[in-house]
Amino acid sequence: MMPMNMIEKILARASGRESVAPGDVVVANVDTELLHDLSGYITARVFENEVKRPMRYPDRVALVFDHHFSPPNEERARILEINRNFAKKHGARLYDCGSGNIHHVGVRKGMIRPGTVVVGSDSHTPVHGALGCFAAGLGNNSHAGTVMPFGKAWFMTPHTVKVELFGDNRRKAVPRDVALWLTGRIGEGGAVYKALHFTGEYIRNLDVWDRWLFPLITIDVGGKCGFIDPDEKTVRFVQTMTDQTFEPLYSDPDCVYESVISCDISDIEPQVAASPTLGNVKPVGGFAGRPVQWAELGGHGGGRIEDMRQAAEILKGRHIYPGVKFNVVPSSREVFAEAVAEGLVGTLFDAGCTWFPPSAGSNQAINMGAMAETEAMISTQARNFPGRNGSPKAVMYLASAYTVAASALKGCVADPREYL
Amino acid sequence: MTITEKIMARAAGLSSVTPGEIVDVQVDRVFSHEKLGPLFFDKFRELGLTVWDKERAILFADHGNPPSKASDADLIVKTGKFAEDYELPFYNGEGICHQLMPEKGYVLPGTVVVGTDSHTTTYGALGAFSTGFGSTETAWIFNKGKIWMKVPHTLLFKVSGKLGAGVMGKDLALHIMKLLGPDGANYRAIEYTGGAVKALSLDGRMSVCNMAVEAGAKNGVIEADGKVEAFLKGRTDQAYEMVKSDPDAVYEKVFEIDGDSLPPTVALPGSSSNSAPVGEAVGTPFTRALLGTCTNGRMEDFRVAAAILKGRKVHSKVRLQVIPASRGIFRQCIDEGLVQIFLDAGAIWCNPNCGPCAGGHYGLLGKDEVCVSTSNRNMPGRMGDSSAKIFLASPAVVAASAVNGKITDPRDYL
Repeated sequence: MMPMNMIEKILARASGRESVAPGDVVVANVDTELLHDLSGYITARVFENEVKRPMRYPDRVALVFDHHFSPPNEERARILEINRNFAKKHGARLYDCGSGNIHHVGVRKGMIRPGTVVVGSDSHTPVHGALGCFAAGLGNNSHAGTVMPFGKAWFMTPHTVKVELFGDNRRKAVPRDVALWLTGRIGEGGAVYKALHFTGEYIRNLDVWDRWLFPLITIDVGGKCGFIDPDEKTVRFVQTMTDQTFEPLYSDPDCVYESVISCDISDIEPQVAASPTLGNVKPVGGFAGRPVQWAELGGHGGGRIEDMRQAAEILKGRHIYPGVKFNVVPSSREVFAEAVAEGLVGTLFDAGCTWFPPSAGSNQAINMGAMAETEAMISTQARNFPGRNGSPKAVMYLASAYTVAASALKGCVADPREYL
Repeated sequence: MTITEKIMARAAGLSSVTPGEIVDVQVDRVFSHEKLGPLFFDKFRELGLTVWDKERAILFADHGNPPSKASDADLIVKTGKFAEDYELPFYNGEGICHQLMPEKGYVLPGTVVVGTDSHTTTYGALGAFSTGFGSTETAWIFNKGKIWMKVPHTLLFKVSGKLGAGVMGKDLALHIMKLLGPDGANYRAIEYTGGAVKALSLDGRMSVCNMAVEAGAKNGVIEADGKVEAFLKGRTDQAYEMVKSDPDAVYEKVFEIDGDSLPPTVALPGSSSNSAPVGEAVGTPFTRALLGTCTNGRMEDFRVAAAILKGRKVHSKVRLQVIPASRGIFRQCIDEGLVQIFLDAGAIWCNPNCGPCAGGHYGLLGKDEVCVSTSNRNMPGRMGDSSAKIFLASPAVVAASAVNGKITDPRDYL
């Protein structure tokens, strides 16, 4: 039998086949389906009006309200009510306002387990490849048409690109910096419909929440899915989230790649990606000095306890620049509780930060994060497209929590290394 | 003269005033916020006006903060720019104007404080004369420091005894709404006195004066005492006078309330004057709960609610939003471990701001949703869809009800 990599094995097992090869179309059993508040109700409409069947495995389906920690207008309140009633009617899991970011909630509630197939309405769903899943985003109709009624989805098995990262960083770049840099290195559209296998000693040495930042970039380079082979760290991590058993799958040592991207990350500097796209990424010096009025820890790529700790390391005993607003948005209730327990809530508060309920934060400016045309924000969010945060003229800089904190202190994009 | 008359007379430079008289009043502090200030900023600039005293005009961004749409962001930026150009204090995202004005020492007993918000009546709790104005008049005040006013007649509420356990200033405010109706105090001053009022904390008194405007009052006021002095310690170094009503002051009408027998009180949907003892609403199911706003977003409110929520969980069908009125209160809640209690109970802990109360953003109600809220208004459409129903209540009632999933008498949890 041909050697297979992790996602090929997962797709084979989930579709009842002995093996799959790139290009094969398979119909796979889905283990977890994550829908968020901006798309759930659209899926619901198709499911109720066109599909008209019972939901096959309601316990595998979760609706997470993360773009709203509170509805900002009646229309939004109405939409949430549709989402809520849909979940209740079919017995699907419901994680209401204030639970946290969709992907973090999925992990925290034990719905993400190595060796499984995870689909979601959010384009960043491939992030769950960090825990050894085959994870991909699907359109609303696919959710309504195949996943909800049959517990299945079809996929064309992608070709896989090996992304091997090695080296010891000498320039105080943190994993978020490396991931931002890598987005530029692979390029937007550089991996369309590919699977990205993140590997190498750099990845292996990272903790799970830092590994998370790599499959996260998959969609932004056009990929179908990204993954990291599970190891003991992964298994222990998932066991703290769930009692359910799971069977991890591992890539064969001699599996075949379409191509290999091999990078020494030793000399990568802290990175910033400025609007209009993620590909517009440079070492922080390239944007240093540009004024920011907003700073934020939050979103898929931020709002982790690691981000709060990084920011606190820089902000402790200091105060942010006059006029800068610094939003801190925990990615889950669990992170908020950890931040309270570690005293980070007080430390960041005293530095002038404002704490917000666990959510997606300023992502798409549903509850917060709308900017006037003269404004700019630096954040750990995952996207920086024009118009995503209020005025299309407003600018979003994406960076690590260190860089966000340093920039908030200076009132402009700033290199964090002088504080480290 | 009454407290209100004495303060107005002093501010008008007169030895005495009588109700109905029109006087030119020197204002001590004026403020505006990002929703109503921008209505006059452009004209103010265009006319080349200056601000009469940069220490005495204050700006806030509290209603739509953080902005959920670019137009709200524009209003905040515009307000910040006005503050910068005219060198005025600007509190952006620090909390609600009606908490920050007292907290930052801008409100002193015996002074006149006005602003572009109807709930400016709140500061009567510190023995000040305070009232809301429209944007145009406020622009005039920003420029001149003065405004004409008619001296109001005063209604006196004597509340005897002491409010029972689980009964708060909010319950008194709601009970008074029942007695007055939505227009029963039109252009009147309301003065609150008696043992039960003196026994209230400053936070409780702020709830009471906050709601004076709901009955149409010009202002609400409570004679300042040691509690006010203690609060102001460290917040101001200015001298102030704690004005008292004369024993023979003339009141248009006197109401007597037995504080001992006042039950927890809620306002049924539609109007804050639809109030009734909580017993009449007990058992009503709801899905949304709000603890916060300029009526009840203060320390006493969070302590009372936390005492009920500690070791308990918010009902699975209820989402409880908790919104401190200022960063100062947020900090104090961290120090007292209250943040942890609310998080453990399953509440949604939010940043300091006005929240959904004014219907602008941040947790609005959908069709037919029912909310139990510590805010001050419940007319149809106030917090979202016009079919949604809002019950107004004290923090104790909101906390107990949130645990139970239906409106509950908090005394069951004491």
